[in-house]
Amino acid sequence: MNRKLIFTAITILILLPAFAFAISGDEIVRRADAAATFDTAESSGEMHITDRFGTKISSFDSWARGENESLIEFTSRAERGQKVLRTENEIYLYYPDAEELIRMQGSALRQGMLGSDISYEDMTGGKDRASQYSIEITDEQNLLGRDCWVLTLRANTRTVPYPKEIVWIDKQDYIVLKGEYYTKSGRLLKDMEVLEIGEMDGITMAVETRISDKMKSNSNTVLIMKDLKVDIKLDDEIFSLEELSW
Amino acid sequence: MTYRIAQTAFKNISRNKRRSILSGAAIAVASMSIVMLFAIIGGMSKDMEANLRNYYTGDVNIRNVDYEEYERFNPVHLTFNIDDAENVLAKIEGVDSWVPRTTFPTNMYIGGSNYGALGVGVDFSREAEYADLESIVKDGRLPEAGKNEMFIGAVLANNLHLKLGDKVTIMSMTASRGTNAITLKIAGIAAFPVAALNTSNFWMPLDRAQYFLQTPGGAQQIMIKTADGARSDTVADEISTVLREAGIPGDVNRMQDMSLMFGLLRLADAVYNVIAVFFFLLGSTVIINTTMMVIFERMREIGTLSALGMHGKELVRLFMLEGTFISAVGAGIGVIIGAAATLYLGRIGIDFTDAMQGMDMEISSILYPILSVPRTIFVYFYSVAIATLATLIPSRKASRIQPVEALKYI
Repeated sequence: MNRKLIFTAITILILLPAFAFAISGDEIVRRADAAATFDTAESSGEMHITDRFGTKISSFDSWARGENESLIEFTSRAERGQKVLRTENEIYLYYPDAEELIRMQGSALRQGMLGSDISYEDMTGGKDRASQYSIEITDEQNLLGRDCWVLTLRANTRTVPYPKEIVWIDKQDYIVLKGEYYTKSGRLLKDMEVLEIGEMDGITMAVETRISDKMKSNSNTVLIMKDLKVDIKLDDEIFSLEELSW
Repeated sequence: MTYRIAQTAFKNISRNKRRSILSGAAIAVASMSIVMLFAIIGGMSKDMEANLRNYYTGDVNIRNVDYEEYERFNPVHLTFNIDDAENVLAKIEGVDSWVPRTTFPTNMYIGGSNYGALGVGVDFSREAEYADLESIVKDGRLPEAGKNEMFIGAVLANNLHLKLGDKVTIMSMTASRGTNAITLKIAGIAAFPVAALNTSNFWMPLDRAQYFLQTPGGAQQIMIKTADGARSDTVADEISTVLREAGIPGDVNRMQDMSLMFGLLRLADAVYNVIAVFFFLLGSTVIINTTMMVIFERMREIGTLSALGMHGKELVRLFMLEGTFISAVGAGIGVIIGAAATLYLGRIGIDFTDAMQGMDMEISSILYPILSVPRTIFVYFYSVAIATLATLIPSRKASRIQPVEALKYI
């Protein structure tokens, strides 16, 4: 009898830390989304867009506030002055030669930004995926020398760009190292893979990421972050429609 | 004897004027229809070729050497240098006129929604010599170089509730594979002769299109009209040679080499000819039917003539001559009316604008029939011949029956 009690107690003691420190899929995704969201941020970078005709480089500066507001201004020669403003519910495009702002909606949201593999739709929606998807931890793997969870996300709502996602999230810094994005029927639409991790303004983050739209052949976009400053003071006007056309 | 039979045949015609007039009228209507059908088909074919020449390919066409391979991917960046075209074409004798054009798919952003359209960048000063665009200005004027203006198809403007002076923002892919948008003011409303252009096209100054699409100095295609008497294949060969010698890569094609367009023209030609044959057969049936009925209903007369001693061959000759006289007059009147109507319609045109809404064909919405003299003469002799031959069947049958039998029809 005593031996039985001792065995049970030992088992509980061994397993207790595992239960106490187990983290749910929801929590992993929540932490990953939080890691990618800043109160305010200013960054600059490049998109290396490759298609059947070759590779072109578009550079940009961007500003973000929270999870719903961001502004990208392109600085490369071909697109100089073009801006993409994301507010809580809308995406607006500003072109220097157009006398009105263009609000992206409907199927236009699926277009690639500047012909890249990143669609305007990818920019929509909040970053709170934990409330939009049913999340399940399906595996654990090692990518870029980092241990990560493999999670399968199935959408609870129709307002998200991808009904199913499989993401690889780094256990240490909650960086999404890889992602596969599917239709409801399981067709791969897009994939994403971090090529390099670095540190900017004290934050460990993906500095080089490759995104590939599987609906296009011979196409991929490598997003390279050149600079990042977080928690800086940003003028409220930056994210206003009035300011966009200036 | 033949003269007397001819006299009798002529008398027979005037003996029952109503029957003769009805018979001749049927032949006239059939002949007239055939003449007009040939004229309309001739007009359609000619019109389609003119539209291909003016709005789609030219007699000879130069494009970037890689354009055709990537055409389905909207390769805006694959252009041909206009200065190179200028230098090369100045050396070619058989060139009448040429224009650079760039066609690009766009979205028109109106009231928060996007509407698909086709933009065309054109050098309006060159177009005056090439396609006489002034003649298709329905309202307003042609856009001016250097200004953000557009010349929009009347149906497209109407569908989008746009009018002269309105501003429209257009979005398109650029040569750098990015996107761009520009706002254009409607300077003119176009009445393009082709329904497809009217419903989808707007034209803008080439220099502004080059700026917008980021294709400085280039155009998607150089469309060339050959001079009268010059063969397009000779001109195309000469251009290819000069390009090769100058080391300029370029894809030179004749209208008929640009398979899709010319294939459509050939297909349309074949379809029209099949339709013509059907109408021709229908017309022939009317002539045959009328002639045969006229003879069959005259069995009593045939019986009487036989009883009076007229021989079978004479009977056949009599009715054949009757048919010949009636059809000669009927077909003559039909052909004259058909030719006159064709000449009139060829001047004012037949308006198919409403019927052709939404049709993506290179046929003008106003068709101008073209009278072909050889075809008209052929129709006349054909009608006379078919009516004459049609008398043979019933009259030969009638000639073989005995007078007693023939008199049973009484």
